Amino acid sequence: VSVHRREDGTIVLAGPCMAEDAEPLLQLLQATPETSLDWVQCTFLHTAVLQVILAARTQPLGPCGDAWVARWVPDAPG
Amino acid sequence: MNGLHEQFVAEARDLIHQATDDLIAVERESASVDRIDRIFRAFHTLKGSAGVVELPAMVLMLHAGEDVMAAIHSGTLAVTSEIIDQALACLDQVSRWVDSFEAEGTIPLEAGTRGQIAAQTLRELLPKSTAAETAIRERFVEADTEALPGWVARLVQEQRETISPPIETRPESLLAVSYEPRPGCFFDGDDPLALMRAIPDLLAFQVAARDAWPPLGGLDPYACNLRFEAISAGGRSELERIFRLVPDQVRIIPVPFETVAPEQTVGSDGEALDLVRNLIEEQRRVLTASDQREDMAGRAGGVARAAANALRHIRRDPLATPIEQALKTAISRADVSPLHGALDAALAALASATFAADAPDGDAAQAVEPATDAAGPTASRVLRVGEDRIEALLNLAGELIVAKNNFAHLARRIEKEMGEQDFARAVRRENDAIERLAGEMYAAILQLRLVPVAQAFRAFPRLVRDIAHRLGKKVALVTHGETTEADKTVVDRLFEPLLHLLRNALDHGIEGPETRHAAGKPGEATVTLRASRLGDRFVVEVSDDGCGIDPDVVRRRAAGGQFLAADELAALSDAQALNLIFAPGFSTAAKVSDISGRGVGMDVVRTMVEQLGGQVSVNSGVGTGTTVRLELPMNIALTRIMAVEIGGQVFGIPLDAVTETVRLSPDRIGQIKGNEGVVLRDRIVPICRLAEMMNVPTAPASEATHRLLVVIEAGGKVVAIEVDAIRDRFEAVLKPMQGLLSNARGYAGTTLLADGTILLVLDIKELLP
Repeated sequence: VSVHRREDGTIVLAGPCMAEDAEPLLQLLQATPETSLDWVQCTFLHTAVLQVILAARTQPLGPCGDAWVARWVPDAPG
Repeated sequence: MNGLHEQFVAEARDLIHQATDDLIAVERESASVDRIDRIFRAFHTLKGSAGVVELPAMVLMLHAGEDVMAAIHSGTLAVTSEIIDQALACLDQVSRWVDSFEAEGTIPLEAGTRGQIAAQTLRELLPKSTAAETAIRERFVEADTEALPGWVARLVQEQRETISPPIETRPESLLAVSYEPRPGCFFDGDDPLALMRAIPDLLAFQVAARDAWPPLGGLDPYACNLRFEAISAGGRSELERIFRLVPDQVRIIPVPFETVAPEQTVGSDGEALDLVRNLIEEQRRVLTASDQREDMAGRAGGVARAAANALRHIRRDPLATPIEQALKTAISRADVSPLHGALDAALAALASATFAADAPDGDAAQAVEPATDAAGPTASRVLRVGEDRIEALLNLAGELIVAKNNFAHLARRIEKEMGEQDFARAVRRENDAIERLAGEMYAAILQLRLVPVAQAFRAFPRLVRDIAHRLGKKVALVTHGETTEADKTVVDRLFEPLLHLLRNALDHGIEGPETRHAAGKPGEATVTLRASRLGDRFVVEVSDDGCGIDPDVVRRRAAGGQFLAADELAALSDAQALNLIFAPGFSTAAKVSDISGRGVGMDVVRTMVEQLGGQVSVNSGVGTGTTVRLELPMNIALTRIMAVEIGGQVFGIPLDAVTETVRLSPDRIGQIKGNEGVVLRDRIVPICRLAEMMNVPTAPASEATHRLLVVIEAGGKVVAIEVDAIRDRFEAVLKPMQGLLSNARGYAGTTLLADGTILLVLDIKELLP
């Protein structure tokens, strides 16, 4: 799965994260808004997933595995 | 305030100052086309930036001012004193609004009305037809090339730091893209980010919420609420192809190349030059450093390569080639001197280029360096850094020096306690290296604090104009040496004494027009502000060509006060007598009946200058004028001081040593081995009576009252010092003990208080048992 929670509670994005991953990511973030998000393993980020990350105002543990996002999306979202 | 607002405030202040200076120059000298053009552009730029930070009242008023300048520029309106007054009043208003914008993030509510009235007043200065024409022309200009839409201006401003446009190809214009996908786009399988990824030659990118984000609980993950913005150096047709399916959601707007990167293409040259010059000097030292033959070729090769690359980097290729040729000669002859010569030649060429780049008009710099002929502003690129950041750096460097000192101590211990002489020597050697570096760093940071004295001077043309008007006198202010640099604190604090001196010169020094005519002087008086360097000091002189000060009048005046006995007064030379005007209290005597020349507040000037560690003197000729000379340190190090009172006397304690002050009831204080002590934060802190240490007579503390302790930490010891009262805290320049006291132990120095008394500042380390 592209979106899952590690034992330590961190939410992990891995591989290509497509539009359908936005919903489960949002549910995880809603359950634990303070938790950290690791997107190092993410190889592709869909707009819908990015939108959830921005809306949650979370600071992902970077750099993002999607090189274009790592280059152009600012570190501090929101 | 965000970065954009800070930048607006700083830029606006610069423009206001510049336009004010130019307006006064126009009035005093002539309305040259250049000057009017500069004023016009200042109003124009101010108007533009006010629009970006959304201050419509300011835009309205500045627009009217801009129209007036445009009319003067086109020759349909002649400059009058009234126009200058109105334009200055307009800038004053802008200045006040900028202040309140900085302080409160907004401008007052009544600004709208005020702006309208001011705009009205300005427009009434315009000839009727011009007013109409200008309005039409403006509308056309706005619609054509002018005002970038707000979002583009904001994007450019916010991303300016990161945008690095392709200087080599230098396209006519860049393209700004704004893309707001439809909320339902995800259901159609769209990935808007994918379109942004496809933009060629992307220079800047931003993504933000279109409407504010709802709480996470209420977020619909499949309703797109994003706005993408970007700047691209790619072609328009390519962008249109990418966004062909969503034309209704995207806007593409050309951005003139200069808007995005004027500074990067031009001004940084001066700094780069300096860097390269330092680098080549360093290489020259490397070359001289050792004369071992065997590695000569390698060393020379490295030196030549580094120098040539650096020169190529700043596009001084013609200077690089001779260095490489000299390298070949040097290797073939096994002698480094040809390379030496080539490096020297390059340095000389660079030195003249730097000088040219420093020239105010920048023309010469462009002659040397054709690559910098861009149409952008010629001002050198300046990094704005908050004073507090430099202060923090300075403190760190100070701490580094203190930490470094421990190494010397460590080396001694290694030698004494461990008997490791070689190791101790190695530590000492490293200590020397760190010492040199820390010292250089400290000096370099002090250099950062140097600002041109022009910063203190620039308000004066306006002030002199206004004061002269009020007094009905004609006065020209001439300034020299505005580029002389000194520590920011010195320059900042220079303003007040200079203002006092200028006021005095205008009020008392300079005669009315009739008197001047009768004395055969030109009707317009001249007041000169001159700054110059004198070794590690810098000197500011205020001169006037007024009536001068009569030393005999000063003597008579002084005889009335209690300054000196009659015979002492008679023994004073004229020059010594003149300097009596700085004596405390002299001014009060003078105020009663004006002495011919100077009056109020000369001792205030002296006090302010001495607080900066400077000196003041006066020179005057009856009928020919007066010169007051301020001699100041270029750098000052401020010490924070706490003043305390013991037995009726006041002493200073360096605040760095103070950890806390406590007020205790006597029962908290116990006897420890015959000495008084107190337990504070689980530590036993001995109490020292400062009165005893200083041999100051004091009444024995009555048992009932509270006792006041200043806890200090110095040299690894913690001690509480008992004092009678704590007075204020302040920053001051410490002057070393002088004269008889220079050998007195226990004092770090003296400083002058605002009331003119001298405060002795204690050296805590020396005093502690």
